[in-house]
Amino acid sequence: MSERNYTTVNPCIMCQPIGSVMAFKGIEDSMVLLHGSQGCSTYMRLHLAHHFREPVDIASSSLSEKGAVYGGSENLKKALKNIISRYDPKVIGVSTTCLAETIGDDISRIISEFRQEENIGDERIIIPVPTPSYEESHNSGYIKAVEAIVKTFTLEDSNKEIFNNKLNVVLSENISPEDTREMKHIFTGIVGHNSFILLPDISETFDAPMTGDLHKIPLGGTTHSDIADMKNSAATIGLGITNDNRAVNYLEHTFEIPAQNLPLPIGLEYTDMVLNALSEVSGMEIPDEFQKERGRLIDAMVDAHKYVYGTKVAIYGDPNNVLGMLSLALENGMHPTLVVASSKSPRFAEHAIERVDQVKPDCDVTILEDVDFDTFNDAVRKVKPQMLIGNSNGKYIAKDMNIPLIRFGFPIHDRVGAQRILTLGYKGAMRMLDSITNTILEVQDTEIAAKWSEPESYVPLGESNFHSAEA
Amino acid sequence: MPDITSVVDTLDERKPYIELKQAKSSGELACDNTSIAGSMSQRACVYSGARVALNPVTDAVHLVHGPIGCASYTWDIRGSLSSDKETFRTSFSTDMKELDVVFGGEKKLSKSIDEIVELYKPPVIFVYSTCIVGIIGDDLEAICKEANERVGIPIIPVQSEGFKGTKSDGYKAACNALMQIIGTKEPEITSEYRINIFGDYNVAGDVWLVKPLFEKMGIQVITSMTGDATVDTISKSHGAQLNLVQCSGSMTYLAKWMQKEYGIPYTKVSYFGIEDLAIALRTTAEFFGSEEMMRITEDIIEKETERIMPEIQAIRKRVQGKTAAIYMGGAAKALTLIKGFRELGMEVVIIGTQTGKREDYKQISYQVKDGTVIVDDANPLELADLLVNQKADLMVAGVKERFLAYKLGVSFCDFNHDRVIEFEGYDGFLNFAREIDISINSPVWKYVGSKLGDSNSGSLEIKNTNMSAEQNTAESRKVVGERSNMRDIDIITLQGSVA
Repeated sequence: MSERNYTTVNPCIMCQPIGSVMAFKGIEDSMVLLHGSQGCSTYMRLHLAHHFREPVDIASSSLSEKGAVYGGSENLKKALKNIISRYDPKVIGVSTTCLAETIGDDISRIISEFRQEENIGDERIIIPVPTPSYEESHNSGYIKAVEAIVKTFTLEDSNKEIFNNKLNVVLSENISPEDTREMKHIFTGIVGHNSFILLPDISETFDAPMTGDLHKIPLGGTTHSDIADMKNSAATIGLGITNDNRAVNYLEHTFEIPAQNLPLPIGLEYTDMVLNALSEVSGMEIPDEFQKERGRLIDAMVDAHKYVYGTKVAIYGDPNNVLGMLSLALENGMHPTLVVASSKSPRFAEHAIERVDQVKPDCDVTILEDVDFDTFNDAVRKVKPQMLIGNSNGKYIAKDMNIPLIRFGFPIHDRVGAQRILTLGYKGAMRMLDSITNTILEVQDTEIAAKWSEPESYVPLGESNFHSAEA
Repeated sequence: MPDITSVVDTLDERKPYIELKQAKSSGELACDNTSIAGSMSQRACVYSGARVALNPVTDAVHLVHGPIGCASYTWDIRGSLSSDKETFRTSFSTDMKELDVVFGGEKKLSKSIDEIVELYKPPVIFVYSTCIVGIIGDDLEAICKEANERVGIPIIPVQSEGFKGTKSDGYKAACNALMQIIGTKEPEITSEYRINIFGDYNVAGDVWLVKPLFEKMGIQVITSMTGDATVDTISKSHGAQLNLVQCSGSMTYLAKWMQKEYGIPYTKVSYFGIEDLAIALRTTAEFFGSEEMMRITEDIIEKETERIMPEIQAIRKRVQGKTAAIYMGGAAKALTLIKGFRELGMEVVIIGTQTGKREDYKQISYQVKDGTVIVDDANPLELADLLVNQKADLMVAGVKERFLAYKLGVSFCDFNHDRVIEFEGYDGFLNFAREIDISINSPVWKYVGSKLGDSNSGSLEIKNTNMSAEQNTAESRKVVGERSNMRDIDIITLQGSVA
């Protein structure tokens, strides 16, 4: 379609509250309550259940017309009360929606009134996060919720307590449960078990083992004591560099914890960067195990290089994930023709260009952000990539162009295993590369078969001369 | 009122919404109210009701006036299929930002409409209002009316502010929108017998297994609303002599309006299950009173039933005696499912809906056995309690309930948006029976709740030590406590299905 200025067609982003939900789902014993109309929570539950294939409970204050006119305080208090009585969560995240924000409800005030009225003890933590749906995107919702969580848990006494010599690792963008497990594997391997605090941690909460038991609140998540202990840490690493990681900044400014922000470790070089930083920060040597993993990845890259070289690829999704995948594609000699971030972020384009210049400066690449799928699809038609890498919503254009789509990111609602997609670390890079290579080989197989199945295409040497001589 | 605390633990305020059916129970269930804050209702909002009921109109542009979320979460979510245009699968939004909220979104909406008309040239644009529109006071009616005059195609407002009522109010908003189109074109009449199919959303192609049956009976189906409907067929739907309403919760309102406006009577039917399908076909034939048609109808019923019966019987043997839990959006589907399960020899032990009305629950209560739990606007914790205490083997519901059932080791069948196979018509019922069979008799359930070291955790050990496997099952149940509903699949079935 041609130029559009007023209509968004097939959105690449979701609204802020769902980002907040994802962050809270990585906290131990927590429940999220959306202050708004009943539909918001139900839609987000559907969206998350489709992707993670787990039960997802998100409460709602079920605002009705009366609440919208006279204020939603009564509904919000009742919802809090009912959730405590039914789920008994230690942490309740209260996120706003467009409705609650527009009617002007002050959720912090309502929550403190509720605490007083119901005599809620200090052991129950209620965290307000304003996330109006008409501002920014799910990515900013995630960052805001993580910041609010850290602030609330460390606010009690803003002085440092006992230095714990731990490393904080704070995500600024959602990663899969499998990726979260891989991160923990890497951190444990390098800085040691119990020597880091990863926030948020959805490795169990969004990918629970089947035991025959249903837990009201899924087990797992970053523990409360760990979050409270973040202010006593030796250093902080923020994962994700395209957006400001507000929790990291807060920890740095309030508690003077030295901080650095690093890219998501996708592909060889970004993983190297993160591992080197870990080693440097902790003073620990990188165990041989990771040298081996790295060696295997390079082995895989050599095995694959002939097949993937020059393959034109379009990569789309959330900014930090896309940046990492761009890096992986470049390192393997692929040609990223189109790189698209779902939401606007201060440093996505800058880093993407930098990465292209570092690895393949002659590469002609289109970089877009904050566009809808209609614009993306137009760009795909224009640059004609041979492959797409991104979430399920690229399936329409992939089908249209008859090119393969390798799924990663969020949402993936039309395939199983989204929660187990591994892209981070050397292992993740290997997994992605194998998947990319095998997809290319599959296409080649089909093309070769089609070519030689046509009767005219095979003419034995000499025979054509013979025939023509006869004619 | 019999005590429900033995089967479910819930908020006091929720108790009137749950009933354990007993011989003398009244069938009077509290229902049709807004959800209780913090009760974790499975319901959505007014907008969602409007969206699901109207969205399958295939060639229309469905424009959501609001912040991006409402459009993101509803983009192509229903498995409705189209025999022609796919415009309905595209998500359009005005993507309201902070400035639009402060200064009003009317201008953006008008320009957005102009843009869409120029780029997509749709026959109609439905403009859905969302929560925020109702608060900032954008005058949807006026903008649409103005746009209508400017661009020359119907621009129809759908008043679906999320907080202004329940999902059922959204259905009404959708029907009100359809009323703007009905009667705007003259129908081409090809048969002296003409009907409309109402309340079928062509999920997975359901309508395509039903429409041919009517056509065989010599009936012209003018439109199916809204599954596989086009603006053109809807505009001609007043040419029908009878409206057949399936999803009564969403479309009875429209059928009543057509009766008043055009004198077209309606009747409630279901195309699911052998008995209900036969009733639907017979009722229609009887309405037209043609003996020839009645003969053809009986012929269809006999031949089609005969065709699918051997396999239905075979499946029945494999699922007979199993228990089912039903939790549906609307009551019509819940009701017809009771019969469907009966045809497979299965018994319903839990039945609930999101949007059922008083009359619906009375009918449900009449249809189910004593000891069945009936519930309105249930939530996950109630459903989990009920699945365990009522010992359900299978649950029929939508995506939100699926993983809850799975975690409890209860098999599941999706009768909602995510379905990819048809359940209506004769072949549809066969599909349903097969799905139930697969769901219940898959060997995977044997492993749910097992632990490494249990001697019953695999088929290898079972062959050797029958007795100790049973003992172990009993043992592990004691340990986990809540797993009382874990099924024992008998070894023969298990081995049979593995082989």
